[in-house]
Amino acid sequence: MTHKIVVVYQSLLGIYGDRGNAMVLVKRLVWRGIDAELIMVEPGDPVPDDGLIYLLGGGEDWAQIAAVKALEEDRGLHRGLDAGGVLFAVCAGYQLCGHSFTVGDNDEVFAGLGLLDVETRRGDQRAVGEILTQWTKPDGSMSLITGFENHGGFTKLGSDATPLAKVAVGVGNGSDGFDGALQDQVVAAYPHGPILPRNPELADYLLERALGVQLDRLPRPDVNAEHDQLRAERIRIVRTTKNRAEQTR
Amino acid sequence: MSQLAAGIRSRGVVNSIRLPIAYAVGNAAAVASRVSGRGSGASIKGALMMRIYPGYFKELLVGKRIGVISGTNGKTTTTHLLTAALRASVADPRDVVTNADGANLREGVVSAMSTRPKAPIAILEVDEQVVPDVIAYGHPEVLIMLNFSRDQLDRHHEINALGKKWRKALIAAGEQGPTVVANAKDPLVTWSAEAARKVIWVDMSTGWTQDAALCPQCGTILEYDCAGHWNCPGCPLGEHQPDYRVEGGEVIEADGERWPLDLQVPGRFNQGNAACALAAAVEMGVYEPIALRGMRTVQAPAGRFAIGSYGDTRARLVLAKNPAGWAESLLVMATDPVILAVDSAIADGTDVSWMWDVEYEKLRGRRVIATGPRATDLALRLSYAEVEHEVIPDMAEALKGPFKGTVDVLSTYSAFLRLCHMGGVELK
Repeated sequence: MTHKIVVVYQSLLGIYGDRGNAMVLVKRLVWRGIDAELIMVEPGDPVPDDGLIYLLGGGEDWAQIAAVKALEEDRGLHRGLDAGGVLFAVCAGYQLCGHSFTVGDNDEVFAGLGLLDVETRRGDQRAVGEILTQWTKPDGSMSLITGFENHGGFTKLGSDATPLAKVAVGVGNGSDGFDGALQDQVVAAYPHGPILPRNPELADYLLERALGVQLDRLPRPDVNAEHDQLRAERIRIVRTTKNRAEQTR
Repeated sequence: MSQLAAGIRSRGVVNSIRLPIAYAVGNAAAVASRVSGRGSGASIKGALMMRIYPGYFKELLVGKRIGVISGTNGKTTTTHLLTAALRASVADPRDVVTNADGANLREGVVSAMSTRPKAPIAILEVDEQVVPDVIAYGHPEVLIMLNFSRDQLDRHHEINALGKKWRKALIAAGEQGPTVVANAKDPLVTWSAEAARKVIWVDMSTGWTQDAALCPQCGTILEYDCAGHWNCPGCPLGEHQPDYRVEGGEVIEADGERWPLDLQVPGRFNQGNAACALAAAVEMGVYEPIALRGMRTVQAPAGRFAIGSYGDTRARLVLAKNPAGWAESLLVMATDPVILAVDSAIADGTDVSWMWDVEYEKLRGRRVIATGPRATDLALRLSYAEVEHEVIPDMAEALKGPFKGTVDVLSTYSAFLRLCHMGGVELK
């Protein structure tokens, strides 16, 4: 059986290289000898309801609304999650999973998919720059998540959602000192785009959760070494910089 | 009226004192900047001149025939092409001033025009954010709108807001506004350009549509047919019939007249840029064969496609600033190995997530040398693209070779500037 990694609406929610997360998930399965394919779905096409992992990425305000509308009409994502698929949503994708979010110059409130018990409203200033968070995995082990955030909305979690990771440097949810949320089949975070290339443990966690098995370390020492080096570089830079938005590079 | 005249006279007195100082200080700073390898020095020169004489930006724009080029990608090359077209048609080429070095903020524009303040014609590359001011103060005859795509999202955030500003400026200019030469393939350009007094539509035949999913006018998801034509199902906005189009290395006008381009600058995107330059030149009164004669002399606009020397290595320098630019530029990378240089300074954008939108998979089978401050990010991207690569973070080291013949180097903006400086390539 070939596992489907489904990029949902790249043209609307993929402006930050978010497809990269899907490439990482597919390759990490294939390199372990597990069949996987990358599926790109655009509005109007049916979202397959047998996806292993679905991905929602970053996008502009009005694209979020178009995406919610198309997903509600299609319902394939909802069926896929009911069937045990996992959704990994970042940035605008995270926001639209909540009950509601604001867009536009006048902060109009729009309903989201309601998959997460969270609400997003415009924050007092835009969060732009490298972000570093500490993530505690379900087995109690800890790991740092490094990424780049760029969002105007701040997100408040309700009682059904659990925060994903504690913010060390950066803004994240903006209200509670945490970044992201977990609830049922949904894992969400603010750092957009290539968060998984920088955090292979998070990538493997998503895969293990969706597959329901424990995965061995990736049998590619060259790639593992590149991941380690990139992580070391980014973590060093975010720790040693004062002006995040201007200098975290 | 008399008040206005008095105002001009008193400013004239200030002029006579301040201008020479502004020139002297500006030129000294430009030399210092060039020597230190930071760029052409035009921006620092212009900045100082504007500090000493704040009204200069507006004043220099008045009373000239002005052609303006803006958009995300292709500005500098298009500016060189249009400048060459106009210079080919005047007796003294110095009568056409331009910011040839790509310094396109107010400072760069001031610096360029001050080199010959009395020149009757100015061809100006203008940053997307500065276009509304140039429309308002300069009353350009022609404005070329090339494209809007994602670029430095850590600074600009949303490209729709830019299109909206251009549209507003064109509406405000009304009958005083420019003729717009617009890329008909770009929905956001189309929506902005439709506000202009007169529009000349150009089909540039380039393929980047990833940044144009939604209708800029009504927010509906746009439809693209298999030929790449776009249309909005929710409102009347749609692709216009082109007045000029590019096909097989020729520009074809609506009446069927064909003009072979025979450019020295490579790539299909430069053919599209040339079609826009030709349309603008014709609008400014230049006869096509004379315009083309000039355009064919353009070789290395502000260092783009220039050959730099690095010890025994000769390298062709290509610039790409965003995913759309990388997609097109990868197609002109011809050598094996090929060098990719990535930085993430402010001018490049501090967020390099765009790398995952670029199809480096196209380089499979060739060897890539990843260099520059973000070489580690690039290396991992190449691994996931299954492209064989080597990481040499130091750019001078990466260029050591030895290579067989000229090696192609594709780089982001800051890395490109450094490579020009290191390789003895002048930014003009």
